[in-house]
Amino acid sequence: MIEAIAARGDRGAFAALFGHFAPRVKSYMLRLGADPRLADELAQETLLAVWRKAAAFDPAKAAPSTWIFTIARNLRIDAARRARRVEPADDPSDAADAEPAPDEALVAAQSETRVRQALASLPLEQAEVVRLSFFSDKPHSEIAAELRLPLGTVKSRLRLAMRRLRDLLGDLA
Amino acid sequence: MTPPTHHPSDETLLDFARGALSPGRSLVLRAHLGACPACSASVRLAEAVGGALLSELAPADMAPDALDQALARIERPPAPVAAPGVRPRDNWIRVPADVLTAAARRKRWAAPGVWVAPVTRDRRTGERSYLLGVGRGIAVPRHTHRGVEMVCVLTGAYDDRGDQHHPGDFAENDEAVEHRPRVTRDGECVCLIAADNALVARDLIGWIMQPLVRI
Repeated sequence: MIEAIAARGDRGAFAALFGHFAPRVKSYMLRLGADPRLADELAQETLLAVWRKAAAFDPAKAAPSTWIFTIARNLRIDAARRARRVEPADDPSDAADAEPAPDEALVAAQSETRVRQALASLPLEQAEVVRLSFFSDKPHSEIAAELRLPLGTVKSRLRLAMRRLRDLLGDLA
Repeated sequence: MTPPTHHPSDETLLDFARGALSPGRSLVLRAHLGACPACSASVRLAEAVGGALLSELAPADMAPDALDQALARIERPPAPVAAPGVRPRDNWIRVPADVLTAAARRKRWAAPGVWVAPVTRDRRTGERSYLLGVGRGIAVPRHTHRGVEMVCVLTGAYDDRGDQHHPGDFAENDEAVEHRPRVTRDGECVCLIAADNALVARDLIGWIMQPLVRI
């Protein structure tokens, strides 16, 4: 769908993409503490950025959900920095990624399914801290306090989860 | 350029991917990512996890006219932002343009052979990021840290407790680290650094402490 937007400015494809992702991006923003109006606004902004940047989307590099997640995350960071008056240093959306070598390129068609399967294969306590950390911008110490766990336990669960995901999905990234 | 040998922890990479790293520390981490294919791959992996988790979220109700509003805004594209006209430095690793701007415009000499250039400042937390240039062979006075300081070498090299750090190398130093890093004989070393507090001096010879506190 993103390719159709890039190639033809396909509004039907945009509406379908909006219908699927905007409510989920809004849900993400709400979980991270945005009020409903701001969450709505940031969800719209995210999908508008998808429209504008569609030509830059590289399906060999990331699944659509991954790309949309990074756009939503960066817009949330921007909004928070504006509110906090951080002196701007740069645009976080032009992240200085190293160009992936061709043999490292993501095969996007199956990648999201594989990521979900890998997440589902994690021990429950590891999956829990991964999920909580993505739906929070709190430091690990606060996440640990919410779970009534020592900080070291939360950190080791995250490390173990990353190691396992890397073993299972290393060929994707 | 050889790939870096000193890397961020998995928790730090995950913090970056989930958007929980503070502004200055994000910038330092991005400088490392630009030089490190392995950590970039880990960040992409963590972002793919973020994407999968986003897809699994229960949808929230959008405002009824949200799609119409979005379609109307498509008609009014934002004014293009002019790219800053700063040329990359030949002997530095690739860094975001504003880091180069800071190096060119806000450089202040702190002592002979030592300069500082502020890059970002978070008014809420007090976190700052800055460039620190130290001439060849010069050692930074012994010090420790409050909270976690993140450092990425942009050019040159320094020796820290017998361990050499080269361009692209990343370090996380906390209060457990007391050190006296010394720039190697090869030439000036420039690092991008983010911390909540300026250095905490142990033996205050003083040539660098005061200027750093005033960043």
